Order: sequence, then structure tokens, then C-alpha cells
Amino acid sequence: MNIDPVGFLPAVQEIALGPLQETDAAPSTGFAGWMAKEMGAANDKIVRSDQLLQRLAMGEVDNLHQVMLSLEEAKLSFQLLVQVRNKLLEAYQDILRMQV
Amino acid sequence: MDYFSAFAISGSGMSVEKLRLDVTALNLANVHSTRAGTGALYQPLTVVSQARPGAFAAAMAGARNVQLGAQVAEVRASLVPPRLVYEPSHPDADNKGFVAYPGINSVTEMVTMMSATRAYEANVAALNAAKVMSMKALEIGGGN
Repeated sequence: MNIDPVGFLPAVQEIALGPLQETDAAPSTGFAGWMAKEMGAANDKIVRSDQLLQRLAMGEVDNLHQVMLSLEEAKLSFQLLVQVRNKLLEAYQDILRMQV
Repeated sequence: MDYFSAFAISGSGMSVEKLRLDVTALNLANVHSTRAGTGALYQPLTVVSQARPGAFAAAMAGARNVQLGAQVAEVRASLVPPRLVYEPSHPDADNKGFVAYPGINSVTEMVTMMSATRAYEANVAALNAAKVMSMKALEIGGGN
């Protein structure tokens, strides 16, 4: 009796894992570093909107709504920073309130 | 899409509508511009706008730095026949006494102007709504 070897199965295929998804870079220097970076970004936005306002006063801006947009973006970034500060302070005060 | 993209989208829409208004104003200013010597007669311009191509699918898939919004494809001179008015005493009259004025339809231009203004206001309303939404999101966890 002739038993054929199992030859009809295809070769085992390696399952190739795709490259890892690019996620946001985790803050390498921790929260303080991230906070400083965000404050710098918000400051940049405020400076840029200030420059646009000066150009508007000189009459070099062709789109008034760009100036208003930059002002609103600067305000929104600053509000976000203020809220982060509020949450941090609240958490800190919660810890302080803990009885020893 | 981060919350600044909503501002950029509305900003691009406002730029397009402002350009449309400027072109309409240019057409209206040239209603009585006759052919000056050897120059061609003024042809009324129209603004053709389109959406920024191919970006929405990428934005939905989560790609960063995707530019959404509207853009101006071209500002095209529409080829309308000139309006001939019989004025033999005009300095630009041809040998039959007709003066060729640009074929600009004032009614069409006024309607375009009004619709561009309304679209601009609609974009401002959308931007304000996006801002209100963001400010409300910042109030999460407050009040307690």
C-alpha cells in the first residue's frame, strides 16, 4: 500500500507584519518638556498675529480674514494652555488636601 | 482633522468668495470701457473655483497636514459678443458709427455679488460655530 506524502499543502507563508503606525512622538523629556514646547508654539502664534496686525496697519495685507483667523487661533491656543494649567493646579491641590 | 483645520477650510472659502467679489467689481467698473486704440475689448471675467483635490479621503484616513478647502481653478474671460451702440460722435466709433462696449450683464454681476457676499457670511458663521465648539470643549470638567 502506497501512502503518498502530504504534498498538496502550500508552503507555510510568513505573515509579514506591516510597519508600525506612526503615532505622535511621545514626549521624550516628560510633561515639562511638552508643556514648554506648547507654550513656545502658542507664543509663536501670538507673535505671528501681531506681525499680521502690523502689516494690516501698513496696508500690505490683501485678506482681512487671515488676520482675524490668526488672532482667533492664538486666542484658542492660549485658552487651551490656561485650561491645562487649571487642571494641573486642581490635581495638585487635591494631593495637598490628602491627610497624612 | 484637528480643530485648526476647520479654521483653514473656512478661511480658504472666504478667500475664494472675496476673489469672486473683486472680479465682479472689476467687471462692473468696466461696463463702459471701450476699445482703446489697438487693444482688445475688455471681456468679462468669471471665477471658476473647485475643491482642493483628493484630500478628503486622506484626511478621513488620518493623514496629517492635509490641506482641505476650496481653491480658485482659474479666472476665465468669457467670450461674449460686444454690445454695439450707435454713437457716431464717440471717438472710438468705427466707420459705421457703432461703439463696441463689453458685453457685461449688470444684472448677472449684481446677483453674483450678492451670492458671493452671502457665501462669505456663511463661511464666517461656520468658522464661528467651529470656534464655539472648541471653546465648549475646553470647558469639559469645569463647573465642579
